[in-house]
Amino acid sequence: MLRKILLNSSKTFAYATRSYSTAAQLKTKEKYDLYAGVLIERLPIITKKLNELETEVLEMLKKIEFENSLKSDHELRKEKDIRQAELIKSGKLDKDSETEAVSLQTAQDFEDASNEELAKFLTAPRITEDDKKNNLKSLNRKLDDALMLLVDEKIGNDSRLLLPQGKWLEGETLRQTAERIVREKFGTDLKVQFYGSAPVGFYKFKYTSSQNESVGGKVFFFRAIYKSGNIPDSKLKYEWLSGEELKGKVRDSYYKSVESFCTF
Amino acid sequence: MLKLLSSFSRCSISKTFSNKLHTSNQLNFQYTPVLFAEPLKKKRKMDPAVIKAREDRRRKKLEKQIRRLEKNSRQLKPIDDLETPLTLIDQKEQRARKLPAISEKEQEYRALLLKKWSKYRNEENLKDLKILDRMVSAQTKALDELRFESEELYQQAIQHDIELIPIHINGPMASPKIENYSFVDGDYIDTTKVYEGEVVEPKK
Repeated sequence: MLRKILLNSSKTFAYATRSYSTAAQLKTKEKYDLYAGVLIERLPIITKKLNELETEVLEMLKKIEFENSLKSDHELRKEKDIRQAELIKSGKLDKDSETEAVSLQTAQDFEDASNEELAKFLTAPRITEDDKKNNLKSLNRKLDDALMLLVDEKIGNDSRLLLPQGKWLEGETLRQTAERIVREKFGTDLKVQFYGSAPVGFYKFKYTSSQNESVGGKVFFFRAIYKSGNIPDSKLKYEWLSGEELKGKVRDSYYKSVESFCTF
Repeated sequence: MLKLLSSFSRCSISKTFSNKLHTSNQLNFQYTPVLFAEPLKKKRKMDPAVIKAREDRRRKKLEKQIRRLEKNSRQLKPIDDLETPLTLIDQKEQRARKLPAISEKEQEYRALLLKKWSKYRNEENLKDLKILDRMVSAQTKALDELRFESEELYQQAIQHDIELIPIHINGPMASPKIENYSFVDGDYIDTTKVYEGEVVEPKK
């Protein structure tokens, strides 16, 4: 009985493998164009804001550190000043030392001056002008998030917002294709750093109207990091978007594919 | 040969001596057992003067090495940070904070917060691992798909990227940089103490 079951199962397994191989054969018959896509990321410039729990823990750690610490030179000096002032008040101290104490800068004075100096120093705001204006072409926004570069790509007759992509040409590696796309689309001023020559992600699409024998395209995405430079003012439509903003702007299947190799 | 002998010794010629008292076979051939070794060589007698000279030479060589090591060993530079200044040890009582003991409520709050924190960090780490997993599988899928399309392109894709090393990335800062910030300029004076016998590397 057992042997029978085993035999049957092996038979079904054989069937399964056979059906797989036929599928693979079918696959080879369909011809796809090869594309290279580039994910150009601007890495976050500032750290993320601490959330509620994080701030709470930070406060607690600061308290514990204070409890375990010893008094500093400044604190000792401040205490000494206070003691001296009390003595002067009660008239127990000589006049000579009194004048000395007046001429010297007290610890409290020093502290006040330092605090004043610190208050004068203002850090740059975390929310920039471009954040307020929602200028999607600017790099100076969403400083605590990674931004990715999207451009209007022509697909057939209509255009769609996608990661910059281009067709692979015979004789070049896919990495070279990706580098060429960046050069052709954004000029030589924009400097990016590619992360290796292996693709990080993949997306497949089908042509609605087949112009040639290929039924669709396969896009191999490469990761690159923005280093410096600007995109020259041209008619090129582009946007720097964060992961959240991307969600509503591209197709769901495309978003899923991009999300799979991104950190958001 | 010896084997032959032993076998011969067994097939005795005893019949020729049958008129003897003994009834047992007589061994007429005899052989010594094999030793598989040769006698030890006689120890060569050495001249004591030669031995002494050799010993002396070895000692001198060692002494020379020790001298060389002592000459080259530099003096150790003291590390100030590792030594507690005596004034601080004296002022320890004075510097202690006399704070009221932490209340039981506060202790309880801290313990609970730490537990909450460790749970939160664990979740965050899991999230990071998941992202890493997702990215690795996305790349594997892309490479598989590429290999399916063209073995040549796949081989080119898995090559090392030499330009990537060294890579320099400025991490996220606490606050963005201030445009046109005029910083206070000044002279740079190196106040590092130079110890006796210390070799100071020339500044670049």
